[in-house]
Amino acid sequence: MTTLKVIEVNSIIKTYKSEGLETNVLKGISIAIDEGDYVSIIGPSGSGKSTLMTILGCLGQATSGTYLLDKEEVGQLSDRELSRIRNEKIGFVFQAFHLLPGVSAFDNVMIPLIYCSKTPKDAKERVERALIRVGLEHRMNHTPGQLSGGEQQRVTIARSLINDPKIILADEPTGNLDSKNGIEIMATFDNLNEEGRTIIIITHDSVVSEHARRILTLRDGQIASDRINENFKKPRAGFSRVATQ
Amino acid sequence: MRISRNLVQAFRGLRLNKGNTFLMTLGIMIGIASLTVIVAIGEGTKSKVLSRIASLGFGPESFSVYSGAGRLFFGRNRNVTSMTLQDADDIRAMPEVAIVVPRQRKRMRIINKKEFTSTRVYGVSPEWQPARQWKVVDGTFFNDMDMERKRKVIVLGATPAYNLFGEKDPIGKKIRVGQVFFEVIGLLKKKGLTESGYDPDNRALIPLTTSMSRLFRQAHLHSMKVVSIHPEMVQKTMEGVTQILRRNHGLSSLADDDFRFVTPEGIMQWVTESEQALNRMLFLVSTVSLLVGGVVIMNILLVSIRERIREIGVRRCFGARRSDITQQFLFESILVSLLGGLMGAILGWTLSTALRHFDFLPVKITLDPFLLAFIFSMIVGLIFGIYPARKAALLSPDETIR
Repeated sequence: MTTLKVIEVNSIIKTYKSEGLETNVLKGISIAIDEGDYVSIIGPSGSGKSTLMTILGCLGQATSGTYLLDKEEVGQLSDRELSRIRNEKIGFVFQAFHLLPGVSAFDNVMIPLIYCSKTPKDAKERVERALIRVGLEHRMNHTPGQLSGGEQQRVTIARSLINDPKIILADEPTGNLDSKNGIEIMATFDNLNEEGRTIIIITHDSVVSEHARRILTLRDGQIASDRINENFKKPRAGFSRVATQ
Repeated sequence: MRISRNLVQAFRGLRLNKGNTFLMTLGIMIGIASLTVIVAIGEGTKSKVLSRIASLGFGPESFSVYSGAGRLFFGRNRNVTSMTLQDADDIRAMPEVAIVVPRQRKRMRIINKKEFTSTRVYGVSPEWQPARQWKVVDGTFFNDMDMERKRKVIVLGATPAYNLFGEKDPIGKKIRVGQVFFEVIGLLKKKGLTESGYDPDNRALIPLTTSMSRLFRQAHLHSMKVVSIHPEMVQKTMEGVTQILRRNHGLSSLADDDFRFVTPEGIMQWVTESEQALNRMLFLVSTVSLLVGGVVIMNILLVSIRERIREIGVRRCFGARRSDITQQFLFESILVSLLGGLMGAILGWTLSTALRHFDFLPVKITLDPFLLAFIFSMIVGLIFGIYPARKAALLSPDETIR
């Protein structure tokens, strides 16, 4: 059975220039991720995880290399097109939640719908469904300040799901949570993956990474290892082999 | 559609950042309030001057000659004593002249038993009444006989009459002006306050000869009103008057005039010049105040963007284009300016009303400054919002989210 490749990254290099000094953060990374896969990218601080995430999330461009997202070459796209891709195809979950303070959970989840070229008629219903999906139907009108860390992270997951994106990109999703909330959040990701959603988790926590089917280890801007997680609860056939460089 | 959604986000942004919104509003509010108050004072002053001109009773064929050099009502020297009755007689002899009313004037206290009031007392000739065409509603105006005999008779304007006698008939009553007793023989028809608050009824008239020898005890005149036989003769008459006065006052050909003309055209010209000067000042003051307001908005918006960098990042992550961020912050700037403009207009209106109520300054409230406030505040918001809004939009999404 062949599966579609939702992400194809080839020989990505990212160099930062500061005061005449060049720093190579990513040194030629190639990854292919299948639709519906569950991938974690781990590595120590400074290994280039966050930079890779910004590139995968179309928040920044690589210095060289190609990046195909859902068959679209991202490197060639204008800012407007990148905004559309972020809106339609990627759902972000952040370590620090990044919810708008003073704005209700409902309105925070609504944000991606503001920037759709066409707001769905059933926007309200969709937001409610997403919040019910993460178990926050009773907290819709609460502001982030009135929610616990775990609840806030669930709001961000609901927000990432609202536009039904191809990929969920989570950067240290349990980093600001206690272990109980961390387990709950990871269970939510597991469920989402079971439903067929592509999930990429960036973490330095090996326990978190063990939830994924495939674990990529980054070191010094390169992929040090790419392995299938033997302990993955429900391994599924048909996932792609990985190209590392 | 997208614009309206960004507008909603701008409203939300302002609501959530009340402190910054308040500070931004304050800058524009003060600018607009000062603009509206200054315009109201300007309009008030203009209307006061115009109503004053109207109350002077100028027709197109008449003008006044005031003693002392200067311009219009502003004499350079108050103690010029060169204008005399001889001048008036010589001018009256000119063929172009229909009427000459020589005048003396002094503000004095007039007393009726326990009641007293302060008013402008004029010593005039009987021609004053036909020259001013001001009716006497009760009693009579003094005549040539009263002039000749230097009689101590007085005609009261409505204001001193009311202050001294209330609703009672003052005719035949004795009143004291300074130390001299006069008999009230006439009451002038009431004209009422002008729009700007000038009271033409606050005057009393006595025969010129009486004022010269019995009350003011001075021979020189304050001014003369000259009525020409035809409006077209006014210029020629003024030339003749100049010749007579220079000759009578013994002025050499190099010396400046020691008198000045007050004509309707002269006043209108002066009003126009004053208005232009006032408009220039208004323009300067409003530009500066709005510039200050605009700079305040720009700076606070720049600070606000730094504070809200995460919000910008989140919006960009979830699909906001640069144009969305630009629009949102531009809307915030315009909305806050309009709010400031509205509050400034309300504050300006309140201050103007208070100034008028307490009679500090002549104030006339018109709709213009409020319309201007609306337009200006919108322009300020737009212009000073562009830079911060673009700056916010050009932030790279990955930098804003880290």
